[in-house]
Amino acid sequence: MIEPALSALDALFDPIRLAALFAGMLVGMVFGMLPGLGGVAAVSILLPFVYYLDDYSGLAMLLGAISVVYTADTITSVLLGAPGSPASAPTAIEGHALAKKGEAGRALGVGFLASMVGGLVGAAVLFFAIPIAGPIVLMLGTPELFMFALVGLFFASSMIGKDLAKGLAAACLGVLLGVVGPAQAAADFRFTFGQVYLLDGFSLTIVALGLFGVAEVISMLAAGGSISHERMKVTKWGDGFHDFWKSRWLVLRASIIGVFGGFVPAVGASASTWVAYGHAIRSTKDKTKFGKGEIRGIAASEGANNATVISDLVPTLLFSVPGGPAAAIFLGALFSFGYYPGPRMITQNPDLMFLIVWSVALTSIVGAALCFAVTPMLARLTRIPFAIIAAPLILIMVIGAYQSTSTMGDIFMLFLLGGLGWLMKHGGWPRAPALVGFVLAGPMEQYFWLTNQIHGWSWLARPGVLIIGSIIFIPFLLSAYRWVRAHGQETALQVPVETDEDDAGTPQASKGVALVLAAIATVLFLYALWELFSFNPASRLMPALTIVPGLPLALWLLVRGVREFNNDFERDARELWILVALVAYAFVVWAIGLSIPTGLLIAWMLLAKAKMRLWTSLIYGGVVFAIIRVLFELLRGDAPVGALIPLS
Amino acid sequence: MQGLKISMAAVLLMGSTLSAAAQDGQFAGKTIEVVVPFGEGGATFVSAKFLEPYFEKHLPGNPDIDVVSRPGGGSILGANWFEQNAKSDGTTILFTTSSTANPFVLGQEGVDYRLADYRVAFSHPFSAVAYVSPSTGITSAADIKNSSTPLLYGGIAAAASDLPGLLSFEVLDIDVRSVLGFNGRGPVRLAFEQGELNLDYQFTPVYLTQVVPSVAEGRAVPLWTGGSMVDGVLKGRDPIAPELPSVYEVYEAMNGETPSGIEWEAFQGVASVTYAYGLTGYMHPDTSKEVLDAFATAAAAINADPEFQAESQKVTNGARLNAGPNTEAAIKAALSPSDEVRTYLRNLLSEKFGVNF
Repeated sequence: MIEPALSALDALFDPIRLAALFAGMLVGMVFGMLPGLGGVAAVSILLPFVYYLDDYSGLAMLLGAISVVYTADTITSVLLGAPGSPASAPTAIEGHALAKKGEAGRALGVGFLASMVGGLVGAAVLFFAIPIAGPIVLMLGTPELFMFALVGLFFASSMIGKDLAKGLAAACLGVLLGVVGPAQAAADFRFTFGQVYLLDGFSLTIVALGLFGVAEVISMLAAGGSISHERMKVTKWGDGFHDFWKSRWLVLRASIIGVFGGFVPAVGASASTWVAYGHAIRSTKDKTKFGKGEIRGIAASEGANNATVISDLVPTLLFSVPGGPAAAIFLGALFSFGYYPGPRMITQNPDLMFLIVWSVALTSIVGAALCFAVTPMLARLTRIPFAIIAAPLILIMVIGAYQSTSTMGDIFMLFLLGGLGWLMKHGGWPRAPALVGFVLAGPMEQYFWLTNQIHGWSWLARPGVLIIGSIIFIPFLLSAYRWVRAHGQETALQVPVETDEDDAGTPQASKGVALVLAAIATVLFLYALWELFSFNPASRLMPALTIVPGLPLALWLLVRGVREFNNDFERDARELWILVALVAYAFVVWAIGLSIPTGLLIAWMLLAKAKMRLWTSLIYGGVVFAIIRVLFELLRGDAPVGALIPLS
Repeated sequence: MQGLKISMAAVLLMGSTLSAAAQDGQFAGKTIEVVVPFGEGGATFVSAKFLEPYFEKHLPGNPDIDVVSRPGGGSILGANWFEQNAKSDGTTILFTTSSTANPFVLGQEGVDYRLADYRVAFSHPFSAVAYVSPSTGITSAADIKNSSTPLLYGGIAAAASDLPGLLSFEVLDIDVRSVLGFNGRGPVRLAFEQGELNLDYQFTPVYLTQVVPSVAEGRAVPLWTGGSMVDGVLKGRDPIAPELPSVYEVYEAMNGETPSGIEWEAFQGVASVTYAYGLTGYMHPDTSKEVLDAFATAAAAINADPEFQAESQKVTNGARLNAGPNTEAAIKAALSPSDEVRTYLRNLLSEKFGVNF
């Protein structure tokens, strides 16, 4: 084992291969930082170049990109509050709250170090893929995967927040979004309104960008000024190291959660990140800071997402079953180089296996170091007026969304869900449970259905199921025991965790928005209930599970909203206008193609919002416009062409 | 096989006469966009990338070939995009599988593309092999009805690429419980290896690289292949595993007569576009004969290219491209089934698998 490992290291230290690895890493960093564009986009943009290189260099280039994306996305999430990739949404919640307090340096330091540890844990797991990881993957049958989804749900319950009704309703709404599209159980397409676009359901990237990214940009744009009103101390990394060292065991546990997330085929880093975040909440004594800038939340989620994306390679290499979307493209590249992963490949090409391990480990370390190095420069972005960053940021999110299907539907959906995210933010509905509900709805339904079809109910007695189940039941029993004991002494009950996110910007929920949102949710749930009866019985379970609590909750919030209503729309009017402008932008792009409305949007933001001078904004706006056009070209999704006037 | 050889010979002949004509540089300086309506890591995308250099080398004028992935709607979005944007000069190709053909044949909602009107540029087989777990006690195809445990098949969705497999169970009249709803054939194979399922179908590259080693280790028993087209009937052996019988042969051995009836017709139609013409490059309906002929010539040249032969031996056990009028006729016939077959398929899918139309 040692000999091939060393010879692989020797092979990697060939100058061209190292250059390829670091070139891939740079692309991965840039795409990690661009919100909505992540590993998949980075790998697909590199793919054509890979074929010009030899096999080891080409694969090293892809690995360089894959293993750094979840380190670099921390930067965007913390500094801009828009998740750099869907799996860093928890980082955006906690890190951005810290950034607003001027503690971006701490948040980033912990994020980078946790990412690095996650990557190294992933690499270690790959190293032991044959003796240890492979058998574990084979032990995880559908019942065990279903139990993992339940554990995720259990941890997610910590994110419900203070207002129980709103938190639960948000989770139900998320699950409802998650069941749109093909039902796993039977050949039903649910809630698609006859639109081909919805046949695959919502894209995770668009939901994450919409709920968190768009809403955040709108608020910051309306507030004017820069992101942080205080000077950011990103040059002092000492605090970050100190915080990291305090939560080192949490990072390690989160990385292991992430590793298991990687073992599950086709479940990306999002699910395990939320589970790790939930675990951080559960394992922290003082839970009051969650949602308002808790460093442990960042430590856990960054450790988990990087570990997942790398251990995604375990099922990929051992069984030819991609563990996640970026791993799927990597698998395609392996095929193209004539490698057919499987247990045999590892005995036949041990060098390649270890080359992968070394590439991943090296990039994790160098990538984190590089992130530390570039952050002080990027942090200056937070001191300039946000409106200047907003235009490119929104357009990049549009491109990110457009990667899903390259149709107009992506752009509409981004701003529609952005509208929903904005309503939730201002109506006091926590968005984290909604995204978790969305992420877990699919796997939960799928694995429950498959499990019951294959095993009947006998799966409940499987040892793996019992072991994973104990993760839920032991803490549950413990808290029940504590409750009984405490009850005798009339001590206060365990206070529910508060994670009302980023309420720094919105001190109190708007009554008007809350009422509107409750009304929308009621209509959605009522419609869903009506359509539910047209499905096959097997496809009804999951939607029913969310409608049954969701509809009464929405109705109750509606009644509450009417009673508490006062006309306070005025307060958010500025933000509302920006939202309207963005939706209008989507419609105009649909009608007359990308170029003209994009130019207008940039001009409006720079001249009206950022109050830039004409000449500066012409030059800067021209550059932004050119970059956007080039990105559309590079990512091969030709820009949308107008439906009424066929311009592009 | 004989029919195939004859058509190949025709293609070769035609090719030689055409290349004599002033066809040189027909695609010189042009870029051919190959639209794959699936994700970038998928088998179809990988196959398109595999073929890319050979078409660049053998098409007249050595055009640039650009493989573009347009996933969505189970391939419907990409195919609809092709319907709206394809050029008729042969520079846009829709490279896809039965996942695009089945919704068209079944008349599913959202299908805007007129697949049966498209011209066929070339086609590549995408064979599939059925195999069982040794725990069933089955040792060969003839044993299939004597399983010691109930047969459990895993799939993705009845109306997509699982359809021919499910129809083969109907033709052979075997009692199989189908669990649909997996994410892809990869997870299905993992569930097979974990012992959760005991009957599976895998397609060419995965069969050769993953299942064949399992067979060698005694963890899987191969049964039959979908078969290959011989004189317009799907009865020949598949080159991917010539030692295995085709579904046709298995039926014959079981029942002492050749398969017939609506089940067989439905299976043959669906299976031929899934297996024998599994990966097909479609072109705009108005594509000229010159362009189609150029592709037929290129396909023949690729088949004769020793480099292609060596590579395809590794990946597909030496499968060859098909092109030309016979291929197109067979594909078009499969894409326009009789009303009875269509009704049978729709009834089967809605009654047995709950598909709504």
